[in-house]
Amino acid sequence: MRRAIDDAEAVARARGGDLDAYAVLVARYTVRAHRAAFLLGAGEEADDVVQESFVKAFRHLDRFRVGEPFGPWLLRIVANETRNLTRSRRRRAALALRLATAPPGGVAADGPAAEVLAAERRARLVAAVNGLPTRQRQVLVCRYFLDLSEAETAQVLAWPLGSVKSSTSRALNRLRGLFVPDEQDRVANG
Amino acid sequence: MADQGRWRSDLESGLRAASRAVAVPPAPDLTGAVRQRLETDARRRRHLPTLGSGRSHRRLVWRAALVGLVTIGVLLIATPQGRAAITGVLRFAGVELRQGRGPAPAHGRRASLPGEQRTTLAQARHLASFPILVPAALGRPDEVAVGDRGRVVSLIYTRTPHGLLRLDEFAGHLDALVFEKFIAFGHVTRVRVSGSTGLWLTGPHELVYINDAGIPVSASARMTTGNTLIWGTGRVALRLEGRVGKAAALAIASSAR
Repeated sequence: MRRAIDDAEAVARARGGDLDAYAVLVARYTVRAHRAAFLLGAGEEADDVVQESFVKAFRHLDRFRVGEPFGPWLLRIVANETRNLTRSRRRRAALALRLATAPPGGVAADGPAAEVLAAERRARLVAAVNGLPTRQRQVLVCRYFLDLSEAETAQVLAWPLGSVKSSTSRALNRLRGLFVPDEQDRVANG
Repeated sequence: MADQGRWRSDLESGLRAASRAVAVPPAPDLTGAVRQRLETDARRRRHLPTLGSGRSHRRLVWRAALVGLVTIGVLLIATPQGRAAITGVLRFAGVELRQGRGPAPAHGRRASLPGEQRTTLAQARHLASFPILVPAALGRPDEVAVGDRGRVVSLIYTRTPHGLLRLDEFAGHLDALVFEKFIAFGHVTRVRVSGSTGLWLTGPHELVYINDAGIPVSASARMTTGNTLIWGTGRVALRLEGRVGKAAALAIASSAR
């Protein structure tokens, strides 16, 4: 059986032209990269964006600083490729995020009332995120949909850290009026 | 201030909960495709020094520009204008179109698909995993060949008003790359075949078969003859090749049953 290699070792070997080592990174990061591309606006073209990003990342491995995490470094390339794509489409990064919910009248309707309410709230929130200006939506996608820290978000979007903080605050403020927190959630979480 | 922190953390946990419910399509397995691209890169780089340094630099720049255009190529073909220059890679009905040079076609011997053998139409129907379509406009083929354990079936017509015609058929799943074509600018037009989209490629281009592991089979590489029409029916992808004009090719395609 092959020994699992860590990211740093895989990068080091891939730099030397070892395509097997690079395949380990591709396999390890495809799902994350694909989710990022899709949510940042690539939509159905996320597959192409991710493939292109992996090819570019390999070509630019010499710019990768030893010791830094591979994930955010790769996601920056993915975000950039996604931006190129949406720019070339000449429209805003118009990905309407959808909820993977059961069809109306299906499981949800039969479930407990609280679950239905929670699903409705999620749907309203996603609709509100869809309605935000591109930059604000991007920052929310990075922070809460991709679970990146503020520093990682700054790296991925290639923004200064201050812009990440201020855009996040502006976006959350805009959503504040639209989002009524669930009392049960409060009790449960608080 | 306590309230300020409260609504914000409520909203943040609400967003995290919503994110888990957002529909994201399943991620593809890209290891094979990425590896293939990188291997092609490595091969091309090895060939570059023979072109001279100035020229190789220009080629590198050109290729960098090309890579950036890949996704645009896909979009251009989707525009309603009908005519579109392919500037990168386009996947269509099991066929991948790429601009640029492919592997050198086999010289001095006949290019063939892996395990290609002559058979009868009935036997081919038995071997293939998909329904084989026969164009009524051409009738029964003069020869039938099955390649790669029934993955590709070729109907060969030796005596048509257009000369030799070849119709390759394969399971027309959009994700499975079956043929890879290397084409030049402006040689591809979008056409309508029986209500769905097809591609009309004028002039010869390189064609190479991609096996089910995603690897180009160099023994299959060859230059095509005449023009090519590619279309699909949902279950079957078809490519018609020969010295045939566009109108006649479309008539043949729409008669496939």
